[in-house]
Amino acid sequence: MEAMEIDAEKHLQRKQSLYESLDEKFRIEKETYRGQQYSQIYFARLHMMRTLIYSLIPNWKPHLPVCTVLGLEEGKECIIVGTLYKHMKLKPCILDEYSKERSVAPLVKPHNFMHSDDSLVLEDESGRVKLGGTMLLPSVYVTGTVVGLHGKETSAGEFLVQDILDADLPPQIELPLKSTVLSIALALTREDKYVVFVSGLSVGSSTSNPLQFQLLVDHITGHLGDEKEQGIAAQIVHVVIAGNSVAVPRGLLNGQNLASKDQSRLSEPIKELDILLTQIAAGLPLDIMPGPDDPANFSLPQQPLHRCLFPGSSAYNSFRSCTNPHSFELENIRFLGTSGQNVDDLEKYSEAKDKLEFMERTLRWRHLAPTAPNTLGCYPFTDRDPFLIESCPHVYFVGNQDKYETRLIKGSEGQVVRLICIPKFCETGVAVVVSSVSS
Amino acid sequence: MADIETLGILEEIEALVSDKLQVVSYKWLSRSFLVTSNVAKRLLHEFVEKHGGGLEVVYTLSGWLKNDPPVYHIRLVSEPKLAEAKQEFDGHCSVQVYSVQACIPKDPAALWNAEFVQAEELFKQPFAVDNCLRDNRFCGISNSFVKRIAEGAPVSNVASQPKTTGLLGPSKSISAPQTIAVQQPQERKVQQSSPKVSLQSPSVVTDVKDESNGTRAHDQASKPPADKGKAPPLPANKKKGQNDKSSGTEGSLANMWGRASVKSKPSCAPVDVVSAEAQICAREAVEGASSDEDGQDANFKRASNGDGGRKRRVVFDFSDEEEEFEDAVNLASPDPPKGKSCIVSKQSPKPLVPDKINLNSDQQKQDKPKVKEEKSSNRESNLSPREDSSVLSKGKNNGISSSDKIAGGVPEIDVNKKDKVTDAAPNSPKRRKVMKTRIDERGREVTEVVWEGEAETKKADSNETKKSENSIVTNAANRAPPAKKSPAVGNTAPSNVTGKAGSKKAGNSKDPKQGNIMSFFKRV
Repeated sequence: MEAMEIDAEKHLQRKQSLYESLDEKFRIEKETYRGQQYSQIYFARLHMMRTLIYSLIPNWKPHLPVCTVLGLEEGKECIIVGTLYKHMKLKPCILDEYSKERSVAPLVKPHNFMHSDDSLVLEDESGRVKLGGTMLLPSVYVTGTVVGLHGKETSAGEFLVQDILDADLPPQIELPLKSTVLSIALALTREDKYVVFVSGLSVGSSTSNPLQFQLLVDHITGHLGDEKEQGIAAQIVHVVIAGNSVAVPRGLLNGQNLASKDQSRLSEPIKELDILLTQIAAGLPLDIMPGPDDPANFSLPQQPLHRCLFPGSSAYNSFRSCTNPHSFELENIRFLGTSGQNVDDLEKYSEAKDKLEFMERTLRWRHLAPTAPNTLGCYPFTDRDPFLIESCPHVYFVGNQDKYETRLIKGSEGQVVRLICIPKFCETGVAVVVSSVSS
Repeated sequence: MADIETLGILEEIEALVSDKLQVVSYKWLSRSFLVTSNVAKRLLHEFVEKHGGGLEVVYTLSGWLKNDPPVYHIRLVSEPKLAEAKQEFDGHCSVQVYSVQACIPKDPAALWNAEFVQAEELFKQPFAVDNCLRDNRFCGISNSFVKRIAEGAPVSNVASQPKTTGLLGPSKSISAPQTIAVQQPQERKVQQSSPKVSLQSPSVVTDVKDESNGTRAHDQASKPPADKGKAPPLPANKKKGQNDKSSGTEGSLANMWGRASVKSKPSCAPVDVVSAEAQICAREAVEGASSDEDGQDANFKRASNGDGGRKRRVVFDFSDEEEEFEDAVNLASPDPPKGKSCIVSKQSPKPLVPDKINLNSDQQKQDKPKVKEEKSSNRESNLSPREDSSVLSKGKNNGISSSDKIAGGVPEIDVNKKDKVTDAAPNSPKRRKVMKTRIDERGREVTEVVWEGEAETKKADSNETKKSENSIVTNAANRAPPAKKSPAVGNTAPSNVTGKAGSKKAGNSKDPKQGNIMSFFKRV
């Protein structure tokens, strides 16, 4: 019996799934840089969103006229649509570095740049107008969001806001199985497939424990556990690594020539990561996204990590290096997510009760990263804004957060989105598994 | 598996744990004895039952925790804490032996070390080899849809580490420095050279390895830039063309390693190479000067890959001869089109070039990384970009002369380039080079060309603060004495240089005639 057990071939087959990557719009290959600045991306954003909001106005307040900022008349109630700009006193400004009086320690960066004096301004192509009133809270909104406002101009020249129109959740493609009797029956028989999300591996940093990651890899690939556990692992069909996978020892990069031993130290973390990724990629499809600390470009959308960094894993057809933000469709479920820069930046310039609320706001504003390019590095696109969310995802994830959080939000047209905050693995040792069967 | 085998394995485990004090984890066991993970775990379980006393055992507990919402938890616990850890789990949790060791290390991550070392070994195997790490054969779940593309099989894969093969090898792989620009030609070359490569690769590989993994990694890292760099490829292509015609032999790989093979070719190549290089160098110089590291890297890579091989080959052969000197110079910059030579020259003032040439093929490979480093470092530290370019050009023109020039200084280089090319040729016959190879303080193999009759050639190493380059420079300087190249420049340069040059100069103190960087500034 023992011999038989020993000889038993692994009879567990990993489940397969249909995967389609939707990262095209985040690629910068076809763009050319001719020294342009950001006016064009703002214009594209305003144009797209305004068209959208104009289409929503008849459902909201059809009786009010719509006008541009320059066309405002005092006392007349109307609706204006434009980009918000938040004037913040504490926002770091490059000119401060050149001011005559420099404090000794200017490097203290407040975690949050908000101030009670922040004020909002609405801007469209014709002009800007200061916004007043208590309906619009500066603490909620950030520069770069496009909204529609109902109000009237006051004698002081301000626009008194009476109501706000957000674009709200974009339309969502319905999941194939919705609640019908037939679908429920199908759902029961449908296989449950899992997608694993992990971020903040920080391989090579002092805080990361390689044993933890190895345990995760062992579990995912089916080494650990008994039959039952491995059965669970066999249902994992995809792994997504959402940023900050490697911690390059930046202390070595101080402009001096690198000694050869330093060079090997510099590349050790990436090699270690490559070996670990090889183990995963040999078993199932893997997506890796760049993060703020990864050796990728700084401005969003971050381009995929080059496959030369992963000589071992890039040999597999299951290894895929993706952009940040990353969007893909698996088993007809649409996933969209970033490595955390958008939400972290929102946290610096606005406040909410938790990260999930920031995420919800970005969905309702239909823009992944409204603070780009104002405070978040961004490529100066000329004809489009790739961060506009056109189709509502079913799962929206953000990596490199402090703790695991999740919530289900619903839209006015029946959209349902699962919001997920993926914690940093090096600190928490937690990875998130999403099941494909809705629950 | 028969029981006897099991017993045998159990005994081995005992020996490992008790005598060698190694951590034997189930993964390690499965890879060492080629059994599946499940079997390995079972073996460990048996072992613990039979010999467990006195040894520490670590178990994995996996299951659902009791808290809400339910969390799937995997935990490693040592034997004493097993019972209480089980309580935390909701219902059944699977308990398996994770590892057996003589004592539990203070840092839990140390449990992972032995396994990782093993994984690294497997990872480093030649790219085409499919080992248990790469196909995940010992896990409990099979997935037939995962395919691994072991490209570049013909080349370089032989006896080289994955990394190196990557570098050299798969013609398609961008990583290979050679391939970058010169992909097609490279491929051709590579294939041709593959036989050579394989022959030499063992030696080369070892050399390379010794050189520094860092550099290799560096190279690899640099490859990406090379891949992307459009500019470098252009020159590289050109170079390649030239190389092709010049070397007419297999790809750079062969060149890189195959000194022997090189010998035959170089003879014809040098001339072509020289001219080609000159052009390429010029181009490279421009690119190199302006471009960032990437360009250099690319060049470097190229040089290292193919060029190195190609050029190197040529150079090597020549290194022994006078004419080769020129080639040698080119070698420094290796890679299919001059790029390499240029690059090389850039990095380290030409002296590298001569060194390279003289060095074994291994050196070349190593040189490349060094060169690259040096180049970059040189650029930053020693030379201004201009110098680099000039150096490059120098390199192109003449291996020897360039080297000389490099030592001198940038300005000289420019001028001398042209001259040097010509000069190099004539010069070489005049001097007798003796190449000496040694390991410098950084562990790099440095080949210095010591001119017979020169007072000292080795001082380079001692002098330089920067790198072996400096030494090379000095060498070059040494060589230069007869330098026809730009005697004027050289003379002026040295004086200036001494003033400012600093470290670089230090080495060159002996060589007043050699131009130095300062001269460059002066002229300008």
